[in-house]
Amino acid sequence: MENKLFRLPLSLRITTWTIISIWVVIATFPLLWLLVMSFKLPLDAFDANPFVVIFGPNTNNLAGGISILTVLLALAAGYILLTAFANREAILERFSSTSEGTSPWVVVGVYLGFVVVGALTFMFVIPLLSQLFKTILGGIPLIKWLVQPVMGLTTQHYQEVWFNNGFYKQFLNTMFVTVGVVSISLTIGTLAAYGLARTRTPWAFWILIAALIFRALPQSTLVTGYLPSFIEWGLYGKRFAVIVVLVAINQPFTIWMLRSFFMNIPAALDEAALVDGCNRLQAFWNVIMPIMWPGVITTGLFSFLLAYNDYLVAALLLDGETRTMVPAIISYFNRETTLTDQLEAIAAAASITFPLFLLVLFFQKQIVSGLTQGAVKG
Amino acid sequence: MKTKPFLMFVMPSLIMMIIFIAGPLLLVIVQSFQLTQNVFERVEQENCTPFGCTTEVKTIPVLDENGRAISETKWVGLANYRSLLDFGNVRKAFSAGGRGLDDVTDIAFWGALRFTLMFTLLTLPLVIGVGLLLAFTINAIAQNLRGPIIFVTLLPFIITPIIGALSIRWLFIGDGILTAQLERFTGQNISLFAQGWTIELLMYFYRVWHVAPFAFVIFYAALQTVQSAQIEAARIDGASRWDIIRSVIIPHLMPLIVFVSLIHLMDTYRVFDEIIGFRAEAFRTSLQWLTFDFLTPDDTGNRSIGRASASAILIMVGIVALLIAPLRNTWKEHNQR
Amino acid sequence: MKRLLATMISLLVVASSTAWAQCSIENDVPVTSLSAGFEAWKVVTDKMAECGNFTPELDQEFRTKQPAAMAASPSQYTIGGVSNSTIIPLLNDGLIRPLNDLVEEYGQDLAPNQLIEINGEIMAIAMMINAQHLMYRSDIFEELGLEIPTTYDEVLETAQAIQDAGVVDYPLGGTFMSGWNLGLEFMNMYLGMGGDFFADDNTATVNNEQGVAALEKLKALTEYMDPEFLASDSTVVQQQFQQGQIAMANLWASRAGAMDNEEESEVVGLIEYAAAPSAVEGGPPATTLWWDGMTVAANVSDEEAEAAFQLIVEGLQYDNLAANPDTAIWLANEPIESRIAKGAIDSAQAGAASYPASNIASLMHTAAGNNIADFLTGAESAEATLADIEEEFNAAAREAGFIE
Repeated sequence: MENKLFRLPLSLRITTWTIISIWVVIATFPLLWLLVMSFKLPLDAFDANPFVVIFGPNTNNLAGGISILTVLLALAAGYILLTAFANREAILERFSSTSEGTSPWVVVGVYLGFVVVGALTFMFVIPLLSQLFKTILGGIPLIKWLVQPVMGLTTQHYQEVWFNNGFYKQFLNTMFVTVGVVSISLTIGTLAAYGLARTRTPWAFWILIAALIFRALPQSTLVTGYLPSFIEWGLYGKRFAVIVVLVAINQPFTIWMLRSFFMNIPAALDEAALVDGCNRLQAFWNVIMPIMWPGVITTGLFSFLLAYNDYLVAALLLDGETRTMVPAIISYFNRETTLTDQLEAIAAAASITFPLFLLVLFFQKQIVSGLTQGAVKG
Repeated sequence: MKTKPFLMFVMPSLIMMIIFIAGPLLLVIVQSFQLTQNVFERVEQENCTPFGCTTEVKTIPVLDENGRAISETKWVGLANYRSLLDFGNVRKAFSAGGRGLDDVTDIAFWGALRFTLMFTLLTLPLVIGVGLLLAFTINAIAQNLRGPIIFVTLLPFIITPIIGALSIRWLFIGDGILTAQLERFTGQNISLFAQGWTIELLMYFYRVWHVAPFAFVIFYAALQTVQSAQIEAARIDGASRWDIIRSVIIPHLMPLIVFVSLIHLMDTYRVFDEIIGFRAEAFRTSLQWLTFDFLTPDDTGNRSIGRASASAILIMVGIVALLIAPLRNTWKEHNQR
Repeated sequence: MKRLLATMISLLVVASSTAWAQCSIENDVPVTSLSAGFEAWKVVTDKMAECGNFTPELDQEFRTKQPAAMAASPSQYTIGGVSNSTIIPLLNDGLIRPLNDLVEEYGQDLAPNQLIEINGEIMAIAMMINAQHLMYRSDIFEELGLEIPTTYDEVLETAQAIQDAGVVDYPLGGTFMSGWNLGLEFMNMYLGMGGDFFADDNTATVNNEQGVAALEKLKALTEYMDPEFLASDSTVVQQQFQQGQIAMANLWASRAGAMDNEEESEVVGLIEYAAAPSAVEGGPPATTLWWDGMTVAANVSDEEAEAAFQLIVEGLQYDNLAANPDTAIWLANEPIESRIAKGAIDSAQAGAASYPASNIASLMHTAAGNNIADFLTGAESAEATLADIEEEFNAAAREAGFIE
């Protein structure tokens, strides 16, 4: 809402923007720096001079780099993509056939489309165009400075991590575990939260308090207790066991969050459905759930985050072929013996962060609304 | 909803929580009062390695007929707790010749407790303060500019905690880029990882960096629901900007400040990822790290399960103690409804 | 045409015989292994994989997983890669089998010093040794006319001379990272001082003059190191050497190969190796000797054990090890020429002790590693630190049942 209170005098506006700028720098600098380092050779990446790290002269000489033209092309492509993304509502409307709003499949398709187009642009189109321009314009006296490599850039660390060291296997494992956790967690969580939101028995309060205390337990104690039993029952190294454990450990948080979403839906809706002859389950599925989708998506996002970022459970219960990404990166550090190894670990860290970056980009609204729904009203 | 359908809805979730949380919790409570040991014997052993043969008396576990080590479990009451809390040395610290609190924080448990408590309690006002600051400032800029800035603000919150801690560690350790710039700026040699208090400050910074966005989003959303009517009324009464903030906005936000504090206390008391990411265990340990350390076997398989269980129970007691005050408010509110 | 055919046939023969020479047996029993992840293990397990049906698992977290995984029935891994200390949990729980019969049948190529025996039973086959010993910049020593130090007092004098000359950032490097590394430094120095760790009843006995002397020697060394020595493990020290920041360090032999890595090292060919210095004049080098090797699980069928053992022999073939002389100090029935072996072998010949691996030794190791940082930062006196170490050890040993 437009708050008249916040029509600010110049001094306050300057202060406001200063604070915001400082925060933006603090929030993004560590991650950006990691990203910059991951594309350079050790000689540049660990240099004390920041300009050497950013422009990577040694990398430029030894492994190749990008030209001013490439940078311009990348900026242009990025701008086009982001503007298109900001206007995605219009694109979604173009693709939806019914007037009742877009089907979820169309939404998924459009988002995937953005990812694919983005990937193709940056991994194929821009390098091809740069190469093309380099050969065409490379001979012309003044213009050729546009197409000569000026900033060192090498993708060898990423290639080493993803292909030679098989990081894609761990990526697939993480995806398998995360999707499993999210789907099962949401299924039983919504059922439980609905029950807790609609009941008046005192049990509900005690279950919620117990859940709160469970959420407060130190994970390490719980999980290390599982290891010997799991091994005895042949569950060691099985991704399904990890999915079950993560679902259980995250239940308290899930039901608290979903319950507060349910509390916002008036009970009158259920009552009406019950009067019409539905039983509780039918009322739940046909009447309440369609309205609840935003809340479910938001809670799903947080389940995704918890499963994706998990270290302790996956590190203790998985290994080798079934290992997930975050424990794998810790083992990179235990193994690092050369500076190149360290940069590979940094490339792996950047790779792990990138999907989360996309997640915030796509679901920023839902994340914000979820955090607020859960707290403001609940 | 009647009890039977309620139970049906709640059953799957409840079963999972009982098996994987309540069950192990009870197990840990029971284990904290027990001690499981192998039965040992002292035998002479001839050991031949690439470096020659030696004959020594070694203490090794007795094996049963299947070749497995025999272990016995016995009830020891509060022995594990006493071993962990080490009251003997606490008393010695405060008697003549002791160094008081310095000696007490040398004891593993108390040092970890000191760090955990200070970490939890000192980062709380910082998180709330930075969250409020960001909420006010971002709320004050034009609507269409907020999206990208909120996007950037969310990044520290969603990044994998261990990777976030590592990224900050890399910036500062040894000749990390920020330390190098600091050294150039001040002209002296700076080693941020050579003493405890600088590492501790870096960990505080990391935790605030990581959690403030969460506080920000909640406060920001609440700011959207401030009733403009109330503000207009206050304005007409001649209130200044700061008066309005103090008397209208902060009370409106208070329940959320309590909520954020609750979540923060619960999560930060379990601090663990920072100690791992910053590899700070030489200087500072937290209670959960201590528990984890007791449970991690060393090279030859030794673990301290008794003390680990006692430590885990004490962490729980600590959390419950911290939460009593805020929870009592919630219980009162719930009854008033 | 005939000549072409003849060439092709002879090529085929050569090709197939080389392929056959890659692994002398064809393995058809599935065998798995779990070991640490450093380079030496890669060399050995790659060779074993050539025989077929072999899945190695190289994981630095193996010490957490091995005892539990090999206790399963059947064991999750046929072969366990161990060192002197990580073999203990497997021995304690009876998880590995004696190899005497298999050695007799298949182990003719193994050297006698590769057989790790306990009361006459061969429990493991050692493949390499490792030790911390002195590494130094030969160019700096030549430039300043310095002699190779043989005692730690001489190390301190040499460090002072290097510092006065100002040719490197820090004269010394050290693996003083709090925890396992620092604990080992103390144990090495204390053994060098001639101290005993335990009394007959397993109680700790380090709070004595050798303990104080060991601590003070360690502290004196830190005066010449990078102030962040408590965050310094072997990777950090290796990098300090490679980037020309230090002149001397007591570093693991297995890191020596990296010094000559042209892609990363600025000191290729400038590092020389010598026996670890002694703590006291005339005493043995203040270092401990380690071995790494392979064991065969007890909870597997005899058929699998036999196949596994044959693979082990295959992996440790002389040609395979000799092709990688700078990866590790290999044990084989014929000596393998390697520049990096000098320091460890000199230390062994001068009487360095092998690491006294046992349950109580690692409790002592942990207690030392957790408490010495306080002394090095000046927060506590030597006697108080040693008393703390003894107390922490006694508490842990009492809980485990080693002390009444």
